[in-house]
Amino acid sequence: MASSIFWLKHKYKLSGLILILPFVFLYQSLSPSFPPAWPSQQLGEFKIAPMPLDLKAPYKHHDDYVKDFMLIFEQGDVAHIRQGYANIGPEALPLEALQKGENGVLHGSKHGQHVHAITGAKLAATDSLWVSIQNWQGEWLVSQWPIPEAVLVQ
Amino acid sequence: MAKISNRFWFMLHGWVSLPIWILFSFICLTGTVAVLSHELTWLTNPAARATNPNELPAKPVDELMLVVEKAYPNAQVMGAMTLEPYLVNAITFTDADKPYAIAYVNQYTGEIQQINEGLTFIGFMRSLHGWLLFPWQSGYSVGYYLVCSMALLMLASLVTGLIVYKRFWRSFFAPKLRLTQGKKTLLSDLHKLSGVWSIWFIAIMSLTGLWYLVQAIFWHADIDIESHAPMIAAEQVPLMQAGDTQLPSANVSFTEALSLAKQRFPDFQPSYVMLPEHQRDMYHLSGSGDHIFYDQYSYSLSINPWTGEIASATSPETMTGMQTLMHIADPLHYGTLGGIWTKLIWFFFGLVLSGMSITGFMMWGLRHVRAFKQAETKDLAADMIGETR
Repeated sequence: MASSIFWLKHKYKLSGLILILPFVFLYQSLSPSFPPAWPSQQLGEFKIAPMPLDLKAPYKHHDDYVKDFMLIFEQGDVAHIRQGYANIGPEALPLEALQKGENGVLHGSKHGQHVHAITGAKLAATDSLWVSIQNWQGEWLVSQWPIPEAVLVQ
Repeated sequence: MAKISNRFWFMLHGWVSLPIWILFSFICLTGTVAVLSHELTWLTNPAARATNPNELPAKPVDELMLVVEKAYPNAQVMGAMTLEPYLVNAITFTDADKPYAIAYVNQYTGEIQQINEGLTFIGFMRSLHGWLLFPWQSGYSVGYYLVCSMALLMLASLVTGLIVYKRFWRSFFAPKLRLTQGKKTLLSDLHKLSGVWSIWFIAIMSLTGLWYLVQAIFWHADIDIESHAPMIAAEQVPLMQAGDTQLPSANVSFTEALSLAKQRFPDFQPSYVMLPEHQRDMYHLSGSGDHIFYDQYSYSLSINPWTGEIASATSPETMTGMQTLMHIADPLHYGTLGGIWTKLIWFFFGLVLSGMSITGFMMWGLRHVRAFKQAETKDLAADMIGETR
C-alpha cells in the first residue's frame, strides 16, 4: 500500500530521469575515444595510417553502405592528390565506380583527411580497405589493409 | 455521435502532459535560452562582440578569411559563418594543433578577437534543445525523435485544454488572475491565462515541431529534401602536363565565387560558406535575401572553382513545398524573423510555456495532496498494527 502511494506521488517525475543522459553524452563528446590506427603503408610519396572512427557495422548513406575512417598522413602533402578514394571489399573498386558519387572520396584539410569508405552491408574476412590515390601526373597508387578481427566481429 | 464528457477531455489533457512534464519543461527552457543564445554570447563574451566605434563598413567574408590565413600561415580555412551584425564573424579552420577551430573576427576592424577550439554556447544550447545531446548515428538521433515527438503531445495538450476550458476566449477580454483565493485558484488561473494567451505560440511550436519530426524521418530514410550539390566531373580537374612545374589550382577564386553569387542573387548576404574539401568539390555558399519569413540559408549556390559554373542554385522562388517548409520552420520556431524584438517575444512565451507545465504539475499535486495524506496516514496505522501483532 505504501509503495503504491509512493508510486502515485512520484510517477510523474520519472521522465526527468532521461535528463541524466544529456550529461552522459556531453561527457562522452568531450572525451572521445577512437579505435587504434592501423599500421601505416607507403603509397608513392604518401605514408598513410587509416583509423576507423568506431567499431560499428557499416551504415547506409545515399544508396551505399559506408564505414568512416580518418586517414593520418604521416608523410606526403595532400595538396598533391588530384583525387583519392577508399572502399572496402575483396578488391579496389574501378575508377568508374568510385567517381560516380561523393561516398568514398577523400576529403578534409591538409591536417586531416576523412573518408566514408564504400563497402557492403557486412564486412567479410576476405575484405580489405583499399585506398586509391591519383596524383596530378595521373598516376594511380593503390594500397590495401586487411580488415582486423576487432572490426570484423561487429 | 456520442458526446464525450468533459471529464474525459480533462483526463486526456493530464495523460498527454503530466507523464512528461519534467522533460517537456527542460526542452522548453533550453529552447527559450537557445532563442537568445546569440545575445547571451554577446553579453557574456566581449571577444564575441563586433564593436564598431568608427562606424566602418563590414568587410566581406573573403577578406576575413585572408586575415586568418595571414595570422596562422600553417592553417587551412574551411569556411565562414556570418551571424548578427553585433556579433563577430566565425571563420572555421584547421591547424597542425587544432583539428577544428573557430576564429572570431571582427568584420569591421578585421581583428581576430578569439580562437575557439571547442563547442560554442550557441551550438551547445541548440544541440541540447534539439536532441538533448543524444549521439547521431546513421542519419538519426533518438534524442531528436524524443524532442520532436513532444510536438504531438503539445498539440494534444492545446486542443484538450481548450475543450476543457469552456469559453476560453473570455480570457482575452477579461483576464482573470485571483491572487487572494488560495494556491489552487491562483495556479489554475495562471495556467489557464498563460494557455489562452499562448495559443498562437503553442500552435507555432507544435506545427514547427511536427515539421522537424517529418524532417527527422526523411533524414533517417536517407531521402534528401534538398538535393546535394553535384560533384565536379573528374575530366574538369586538370592533370599536370609534361614540363609543368606548378600544381594546377582553381581558376575561380572564392572572391570571384562570391561575386558570381551576388550577380545571380543581388540581395544575397552570405551567412554560411564552405571552401572545397577536395579537388572535385565546389564552393558552397548559403545566405539570406529579402524574404523575412525564410531562414539565413534560403539562398544557396554551388560554384565550380575550375570553370566558374554555378552548378546548382536555390532560392525561395524556386523551392518546392517541402523545401519552403524547411526554410521557414527555423525563423518561426526561434522567432528570428523580426530580429531582436521577436526573439524577446519568443523568449517570454518560452518562459510562459515552461511555466505552464510546472503549474500544471503543481495543480495535479495540490488536487491529490489530501488523498495522499489520508492514504499515508492509513498506511502508517496499518504498518503499526502489523508491527505490534
